[in-house]
Amino acid sequence: MTGQDAVVLKGGRDGVAVIIDEGATIDAAIRDLRAKLSHAGSFFKGAAFRLEAGRRTLTLAERDALSSTMEEFGIKLRESGGANGVGDEVETPSVVEPRNQRPLRGSSDAVGSTLSGGEDQTLLVKRTIRSGQRIDYEGNVVVMGDVNAGAVVMSTGDIVVLGSLRGLAHAGAQGNDDAVVMAFRLEPTQLRISQYISRPPDEGGPRPDGPEVARVRNGVIQIEAYVP
Amino acid sequence: MAGKVLVITSGKGGVGKTTTTANLGTGLALLGKRVCLIDADIGLRNLDVVMGLENRIVYDLVDVVEGNCKLRNALIKDKRCENLFLLPAAQTREKDAVSPEQMKELCDSLKEDFDYVIVDSPAGIEHGFRNAIAGADEAIIVTTPEVSAVRDADRIIGMLEAHDLSTPKLIINRIRPDMVRRGDMMDIDDMIEILAIKLLGVVPDDQDVIVATNRGEPVVFDRRTRSGEAYHNIVRRIEGEEVPLLQLDQEGFVERLKRLLNLDQKRRKAE
Repeated sequence: MTGQDAVVLKGGRDGVAVIIDEGATIDAAIRDLRAKLSHAGSFFKGAAFRLEAGRRTLTLAERDALSSTMEEFGIKLRESGGANGVGDEVETPSVVEPRNQRPLRGSSDAVGSTLSGGEDQTLLVKRTIRSGQRIDYEGNVVVMGDVNAGAVVMSTGDIVVLGSLRGLAHAGAQGNDDAVVMAFRLEPTQLRISQYISRPPDEGGPRPDGPEVARVRNGVIQIEAYVP
Repeated sequence: MAGKVLVITSGKGGVGKTTTTANLGTGLALLGKRVCLIDADIGLRNLDVVMGLENRIVYDLVDVVEGNCKLRNALIKDKRCENLFLLPAAQTREKDAVSPEQMKELCDSLKEDFDYVIVDSPAGIEHGFRNAIAGADEAIIVTTPEVSAVRDADRIIGMLEAHDLSTPKLIINRIRPDMVRRGDMMDIDDMIEILAIKLLGVVPDDQDVIVATNRGEPVVFDRRTRSGEAYHNIVRRIEGEEVPLLQLDQEGFVERLKRLLNLDQKRRKAE
């Protein structure tokens, strides 16, 4: 070992962040995390940590390994969404099961507005989301670029793509039926809103020639032209 | 002299990374540039074979990194070009024999001596890929007009962005103008729209490439071939020249006749 920390625990306004050194191997990170947590005893018990992996892409298995190490010490892994670090948001997979997230507040305020997600926060992503990249956000997501096939955008509120949506979008991911997905070119691999799932027909219909909105009506996802 | 390190990568295997590396390197050398090719595909080396230099290998990349020989001892001078060199990969080792830091160091020292250092990346997105891009200043993505290759290219572009190689350029390999015309193959515009990066060139599907590759001489030597011409144009674009895209759908009389007949058939079917 180089004597450098593979993992740094950093407390902040919004809880404790586990910062993983970009150069460290995942094994070293887990070892170091375990050493640090056992040193701290039961101090962190019941807390929820957030992962910061910098530019590294954590695989699901790696995340699971880290999260189960934390669980050994009674610590939960929390979704790392937030309005900061938009650029990194993509490669730091903030993939986390919705169960660890804050519950949504009531979605009764969804009347007559396109941006009507349950959350009032919106993540602005100023880039194209490419295959293998993923955005998870508690709130609304606006992508200034394309969402390519193989990419995933998941939000608890609405999703707006100022470009082509070719990948998978899941709006209202915690059960908000009023969430919408909107894109300049809506050609997704699959669309999900709340618990509803739909996909384009196999024979491939006409390509959209203008902005469209997908929303749940009468228990199915319907797509209609966007009328401002 | 501080040269440029280019990495040739694709994600998907078999799209022509090694052929592209060999041809761009040779092409640049033919323009009088000092060029060094690095085969970063440790364990599955091919670039030496395509260049026809396999039997001259004494030391390889891993020997250099492990300090078994000096860097200049491992460089193999090309048969035909005085100013073209190859640093071959080790065949008996694996990708993890080299670290990204070591690759970066290697590229940095090579670009002191060369105008261009071109790294041939292995397929995949794992350790070998990270090695290949570690020392790169610019990336060139090779793709073929297949949905899977384009998808992988997209993934690679995303990963390159995360490594601060944010403006890669695209080479579309093995395009078949006749199939594009019939709508049986993705066309160039579709691919550019999805990948949204700058197009460096288009190389037609050409039997001459296979012949040349098997003979161990890059097709760029033969400017009479369409692919040789295409590679030559790409090289000039790398050098900063504005070269228009090769007019691919120059059809001969027979093709035109076939197409007309075909169209006729389709029309008849539609009726």
